[in-house]
Amino acid sequence: MSEVSKTVQEKLSELSELVAWFQSAAFKLEDAFDKFKQAEALAEEIEKDLTKLKNDIKVVKKKFDAEN
Amino acid sequence: MENNPLQLSVSEFVALTNQTLEYAYPTVSVVGEVTEFRISQGKWVSFKLKDSEAVIGCFLTTYQLRMPVEDGMKLLVVANPRLNNKGFFSLNVRSMKPVGEGSIKKGFELLKAKLEAEGLFAPERKRRLPRVPQHVAVIASTESAGYVDFCKIINERWGGMSVEVAHTQVQGAPAPDQMIRAIRYFNSLEVLPEVLVIVRGGGSAEDLMAFNDEPLARAIAESRIPTLVGVGHEVDNTLADMVADVRAATPTNAAEILVPDRNEIIRAAHQQAASLGHQLVQSIDEYSARTKEQLEAAFRRIREKLDENFERLATLRLATAQLNPENVLKRGYALLRGDVKLGATVEIETLHEIATAEVKNVRSK
Repeated sequence: MSEVSKTVQEKLSELSELVAWFQSAAFKLEDAFDKFKQAEALAEEIEKDLTKLKNDIKVVKKKFDAEN
Repeated sequence: MENNPLQLSVSEFVALTNQTLEYAYPTVSVVGEVTEFRISQGKWVSFKLKDSEAVIGCFLTTYQLRMPVEDGMKLLVVANPRLNNKGFFSLNVRSMKPVGEGSIKKGFELLKAKLEAEGLFAPERKRRLPRVPQHVAVIASTESAGYVDFCKIINERWGGMSVEVAHTQVQGAPAPDQMIRAIRYFNSLEVLPEVLVIVRGGGSAEDLMAFNDEPLARAIAESRIPTLVGVGHEVDNTLADMVADVRAATPTNAAEILVPDRNEIIRAAHQQAASLGHQLVQSIDEYSARTKEQLEAAFRRIREKLDENFERLATLRLATAQLNPENVLKRGYALLRGDVKLGATVEIETLHEIATAEVKNVRSK
């Protein structure tokens, strides 16, 4: 999946994975700074994405006042 | 006319009476107290409506019976008056509802007990709603304040959802069937919505009666799509609420349950990133402290080794010094150089002088 097509949900999951990595045995100080920068960038993207998202609310055309 | 009255057969008279009734009173609404309530063969329902002075029979099918009824309940029936071929006048009931607080409550309690006995309110039936749904179905009156509140809150809190709305009546006799049709419509879609929301703002007990309808409660319980129902105010409890997977106190609360607050999520995302920064600094501090400790330990070890070696060196120097011939001369001894044989010349070195001597005598010790 490309960076562009990632959903907010995927970005949130990715951020959670980064947080988990910091608390896991896989943590390495050598890699930590890059991971921290990734987390910061993700938080920025999540804010940007969430701020611009709009709901698409549509009233269905079907009438429910009688069986049809 | 009196001299020449219309002459009819009994059947013709019954038919004419029904025609006249149909013309004069196509439908009537009659309020009375239920007595002699009976269900025959699981199909036919009969009872009498009475007041202090009169009584009239009523008929309907079990299919039309939308709530449990007991003798003593006060009902409003909408019916067609009919004279049947056996000469009995009755009301063919089209719809009915309890009237008065006592009867509404009684009907509610009877149906609640019935549905509860069937396990429709059981906690183990309740399904969880997705945390962040993408596709949501809503059943509401699009003209109602409750619907407007619901939309306002979901738009404030979240975005990116596809929301399909079925506009139905949410009060009055047609409301339950309209909502049931909408539930069936959404459940028949090729791609099912992830959540089915039913909302309606506050109202009187009578306004909310549509949500205590047995077929509607069953349709909600049978929905393949997890349901979220927010009807009335906090204090209102309807059967639709009780059978739903998740109950919301109000339409606004339904919106709050349906979607997370984007501002909270943004705040949490930044907090998470910041916490990683703190962890990083802490890890660097810990790493530095550990490295410092290791270096100090290494220096200590080197110092110990050096001290050991200096000590050894001092011992060796002492030993070496003791072997120095000059030190022997200092103790008064002399050093003899040359062959010790009779007539030979030898050199004798003391601490301060060197003398030459001739060997005059040699003897073995």
